[in-house]
Amino acid sequence: MSSSAGFAAAHRSVASIRSGPSQGPSTPSRSISSTFGSPSTIRADDDIIVIELGSRLLRVGFAGDPVPKATLQCGPDEQRRVGDFRAWLDPTKTPGQAWSSEYELWRYDLSKVELGLVHDKLDRLMREAFSKFLLIDSKPRRMALVADPSLPLPLLSTVLDTAFGRFQAPMVSLLSPATMSAVAAGVRSALVIDIGWSETVVTSVYEYREVKTTRSVRAGKYFNNELYRKVLHPLIAEDQGKEANTVSEKSHGQENPTKEKMDRDRAVDVENEKDHRLSFDESEDIMRRLAWCRPTNRTSQRTSAQLETVEEQDENEAEAGSTTTPGADRTAHVPLQSSTPPKTIDVPFERIADVCGDVFFEPSMNLAHFDDHELPIHLLAYRHLAELPVDVRAICMSRVIFIGGCSNILGLKQRVIDETTSIIETKGWEPASGKAVDQLSNNSKLKWKPTKTPHLEQDRDEEDGLFSEQANDFDQFERGFMRPRKKDPPVQGHIRALHSVGPWTGASLACQLKIPAMATIDRELWLQQGVNGASRPNDVDVKAQQRQSMGAGGLIRGSGGQHTNWTLGKWGAI
Amino acid sequence: MASSPPYTYIQCPCSNEEPAEGSDASSPESDSFHDAERTFDPRAPRSNYSLYPLEYLLYCEECQQIRCPRCVDEEIVTYYCPNCLFEVASSNLRSDGNRCTRNCYQCPICSGPVQVGEVQAEPETNLLSADNATAAPHGPYALFCQYCSWVSSEIGLEFERASGIPSQLAKMKNGGIPRITAKELKERRKEDPDMPPLEDELVDAELQYSALRSFYQSQINGPSNGLPGGLSLGDGHNFSSPAALTRMMSMWQPGGRGAQGKTAGPPDVFPEATDTDKGLKLAQLDESAKVQKLLNGGWNETVSKDQLLGQLEHAHFQDELRPLQCVLRTKRSRRCAVCRHIISKPENKVASTRFKIKLVAKSYIPSISIRPLEPRAPPVPVGMRPQQPQEPPLKPLQPYQYILTFKNPLFEKLKVTLATPNNTPGRFSSKVALLCPQFDIDPVKDMWEDALDGDDRSRTEETGQAEAGKIYKRGRNWVSIILEVIPPLLSVDSLRPHTASGEPTDRSPLREDEKILEIPMFVRMEWEPEAQHDVGDRVGKDRNEGQKRELAYWCVLGVGQISHE
Repeated sequence: MSSSAGFAAAHRSVASIRSGPSQGPSTPSRSISSTFGSPSTIRADDDIIVIELGSRLLRVGFAGDPVPKATLQCGPDEQRRVGDFRAWLDPTKTPGQAWSSEYELWRYDLSKVELGLVHDKLDRLMREAFSKFLLIDSKPRRMALVADPSLPLPLLSTVLDTAFGRFQAPMVSLLSPATMSAVAAGVRSALVIDIGWSETVVTSVYEYREVKTTRSVRAGKYFNNELYRKVLHPLIAEDQGKEANTVSEKSHGQENPTKEKMDRDRAVDVENEKDHRLSFDESEDIMRRLAWCRPTNRTSQRTSAQLETVEEQDENEAEAGSTTTPGADRTAHVPLQSSTPPKTIDVPFERIADVCGDVFFEPSMNLAHFDDHELPIHLLAYRHLAELPVDVRAICMSRVIFIGGCSNILGLKQRVIDETTSIIETKGWEPASGKAVDQLSNNSKLKWKPTKTPHLEQDRDEEDGLFSEQANDFDQFERGFMRPRKKDPPVQGHIRALHSVGPWTGASLACQLKIPAMATIDRELWLQQGVNGASRPNDVDVKAQQRQSMGAGGLIRGSGGQHTNWTLGKWGAI
Repeated sequence: MASSPPYTYIQCPCSNEEPAEGSDASSPESDSFHDAERTFDPRAPRSNYSLYPLEYLLYCEECQQIRCPRCVDEEIVTYYCPNCLFEVASSNLRSDGNRCTRNCYQCPICSGPVQVGEVQAEPETNLLSADNATAAPHGPYALFCQYCSWVSSEIGLEFERASGIPSQLAKMKNGGIPRITAKELKERRKEDPDMPPLEDELVDAELQYSALRSFYQSQINGPSNGLPGGLSLGDGHNFSSPAALTRMMSMWQPGGRGAQGKTAGPPDVFPEATDTDKGLKLAQLDESAKVQKLLNGGWNETVSKDQLLGQLEHAHFQDELRPLQCVLRTKRSRRCAVCRHIISKPENKVASTRFKIKLVAKSYIPSISIRPLEPRAPPVPVGMRPQQPQEPPLKPLQPYQYILTFKNPLFEKLKVTLATPNNTPGRFSSKVALLCPQFDIDPVKDMWEDALDGDDRSRTEETGQAEAGKIYKRGRNWVSIILEVIPPLLSVDSLRPHTASGEPTDRSPLREDEKILEIPMFVRMEWEPEAQHDVGDRVGKDRNEGQKRELAYWCVLGVGQISHE
C-alpha cells in the first residue's frame, strides 16, 4: 500500500486482546484519557503538538483540542529583526514591489525558495506559537505534521530539521491533509477539494488511502492577482484614465480565447510588477472580505446536488438568485491606506463576482483551451471523478469535502457542486467527448449509446468487469467490510457535500486516539541518516515500528531502534 | 532597519553554527571555512533572524558566549493573566485552554480590554431610580469596550450575572441563541432517547469534534461500551494488508467475545458516521443569505484580517466575532542550551519585575554607540530631551565621519580589534574606513582610582581629531574612534550591468531597506580574566596567568539614511 496516512491498528488490537477474553460485565476496557482528565496528568502525559503547514500559514495546537490554539501568518512584518517596531510605529504600509512571495512561507518552485530562510521563518513562527499561545517550554515533545504529500523533499527535510533540531522533537509523524479532513468529517472515503492559496488540489481518499490527486492553479493567489489586475488597479488608476478603463474591462467577456489566454499570462506579471498601486495586504483583504460567487444559472440541478438538506429551502429565493442576485449592482466603499494618496474606492460587487466566476470556472471558454495545470475547479473535480475506478468514484462522489481558505468565498462551494453535477448529468462518465462522439451517438445505424447514468447502482454490474483490474486492490478489502453491512448500504452514487472540521482537527483527533501514522520519523534516525535514510513504504515493517513506539508514550524507544527501517511514506515518493 | 538610525545590531554566533541548508550537510569543513571567510551581509533575508539589539542578548559565563533567544532553553516559572495579573495554577491550564477565566476579555473589534457593565435599559428609568439606585433590580450585563465603545449586546450577548462570564458565554452563541454543548446533548439524549438528531445548523466545530471523538472512541473500545446499534468489534481503522486482517481475525475468536457478541463471523471495520450524533454534518452549501448580507452590508460588515486571526473559528461578518478571552502569559527562566546553566531567572511573583539571575550581554561585551562628528541636525530642545536628534539624509558620494564609542563593562582591560569590508555588501555598496581598528579600552574602575592613576598614557594617545591609526578620544572605560563612510548613489541605472562574477545585476527598483546605510563590522575582543590590579588574590592570578579569553562576533552599524533624489 502506497498510502500516506494509512493507519494500522496494532496497539489497539493489543488493548482489545487484553480486555477481550476477560471481559466481565464489571471490567470496562480502558478508555483513552479525555481532555478533561485528572489534572495531575496534565502536561505529564506528553502532549502531541499538531502542526498544520500551509503555504501561507501555520496552525499549531495540542492534540485533543477541537480548534488550533494559534494560527500564524508570515508577512514582512513578522520577518523583521527583533526589536524593530516599525510595524507598530507606522502601520500604514507603502505599496511597492512586495507581493505574494513575501507573504508565503514556501512555494513549490524551489528555485525561488531559500531553504535556510524557510527554516528561519518556521523556527520563528513555531517559537512564537509555543511561547505565546501554547505556553510550553522547550521540553522535547512529539509532533504531528499535517502537510501536503507533494511537499518537495528538500523542503520537507528543512521542516523536519527544524522540528528535530531546534525543538528536539523525539518523533514527528506525517499526516496528509486530505485524509485528515476525511477523519474530521467522520468518513472513510472522500473527495477532498482543497481550494487553497497557491493551488486547488482535488484528492480522492478511499478507505483512508489517497487514491489520486489532481491540481490546478486556480486558487487564492491567482484570484488575488486577477482581482488586482482587473478591478482594483483600474479603480485606483481611474483618476487619470476616468471611465475608459472600466469600459474596456467590461467587454472582456466577449474577447476571443487566444486573447484571453494572453490576458491570463499577464496575470503572472502582477507578481513581478515594479510598482503596485496598493499593498498586498489590502489587496488580499479586499479579496477575502468582499469575494462572492454567483450561483449557477441552472437551478434545476440543485435538487440532485443536495438531497438531504436543501429541499426545504425557499424556492422563490433560489429562483431569484439564479438569474440576478438582488443588490449585486451595489458597490462597497473600501478605504485604502496604502494607495497614494489614501482614498476610498467603490468596488462594484458585480465585478468581483465576475472575476471570481472567471477565475474558478471560466465559463466563457471551451474545454480545449485549458492547459492541464489550469483546469477550472468543476472540471477538475469532474475529470478527477471520471478517472477513478467506479467503486471509488461512487463512494467518493457522495462525500465531497471542501477545505482551504478560498472555500470560504461565499457561494463558491455551491457553485462547484452545481457545475460538477451539471457536467455529470449532461456527459455522464464518458471519457471521450466532441463532435465525433456526438455523431456516433446520433448515428441510428449503430445502436451504440454512451453510458449516461451517473448512478452507480446501475453502473456497477456492467462495468465491474471492466474495472476489476484497477479495483482489485479495493475489492479484497471491500468484500470484508461490505458483508455485514448489507442492511445499511453506504450512501453512494450521487453528489453530496459533507462538512469537515478541517485537517488540523482531523489530525488532532487521530493523534488523541493514538492512531499511529504511516510515516513516523524518529529523531535519532533522522539525525543519523537524514532524508536519504528513508526506505520505501513497502519495505517498512509498520507493525514492528509501532509496537516499539508504543512504549512509554513513545519517548523511550527500544534499543533495537537503530536498525528498523523507517519511511517518509507518500512524502518520500520520488 | 530599526525605526531610525543610528543603531547597532549584534549577530548571535549561534546562527553560524547551524547548517546553512538542510540538504547540503555533505561538507561541513568547507562550509565553515567559507563562513569564516565570507563577509556578513546585513541585508540578506536570513540576517533578520540572527540580528539582535544588545539589550535582547544574554551571556553564558560558562561557555563564554553570547546567547540569543534562539539558543536558550526555556522553562516556565509562572503562568499569569496579563489583564488581571492573577497567577494561574498549571493544573488548570489545560481545561481553561490557556486562557484566563476571570472575566478577562478583549474586544473582538479592536482587541482592547473590555469590562463587564450593566446594560442600562432606558434612560428615563435610570433618572427615576437615581435616588435609590440600590433598590433597582440589576439588569442584564454586557461587555463594554473602553476603547472603541463596542458593546457585546450589539451581537446579542447579554449576561444574567456579572461574574462567571466564561461559563455563561460558553452556553451562548452570538445573537443570544443558546449553544448546545456535548454534555448537554448527552443529558438530553438520556432523558429522551428518541430525540431526533440535532439539525446541522446547530452543530458547531466543537460539538462535531466531540461527537466524532466519542464515535471513534466507542468504535475503538469495542462493544463493551458500544452504541445501541450493536456495532461489532470495530477496531481496525484500517487494516493495512490482507495479512493483517487475517491476523486480527485469528485474534478475535468468536468464543472469546462472549455473550455480548451479537454478530458472529469476522470482525468488521467500523462503519462511517451516519448521523449527526456520530459527527456527520452535511455542508451548508446554500450561502445566498450570506451573500445578501455581504451585498447589503458592504465592507464594514466583514471581518478584517487581524480580527480574524484572533478568533478561534472562522468568521466572515462582524457579528460572528466572539469576545476574546485573554491568553495567559508566562514568566520563563532561560538556560544555556549548551551547558544547561541558568542564565536568566525571574522572580516567581507575578507583579515583580525583578530577576533572581540575569546575565545580560550588556555587562559582558562593549556597547557601541554612533554619532556624527559634525552633527547637522539642530540640537533637541531641553524640553524634548530624550528624543534623538534626527540627522538629515546623507548625500551620495560625499564623505562623512562618525564617532564610534566603545564602552567597556568589564573589570579587565579589553583589547578590541575591528574589521569592516572596504565596500559594504549589497547592490549599492558604500566605502567604509575605520581610522583606528585596534585599540585597548581601560577597565571599569573607581573614579578615585582613576584620578590617582594619572592619565599620561591616554593623553598622549588621543588626538581629538580624525587621524589614521589614532584614537579620537579616550575616557575612563571608553574609547572613541572615527569611522569614515562614503554613501553610494542610489540609482538602479547607475549600476554596472554585470557583477564581478559575471552575473547580470539585479535591476529591480530600490527596496525600503537599501536606503539605510548599514555597515557590517566584525568585532574581536580579548581580555585576561582576573586583572592585575586585583592584588589580594594571588592564587587566582596564577591560575589564570596568560589565559586569554576572546570573543568575536559580527555586528551591524546602522549609520544613517541615504538621500535618493
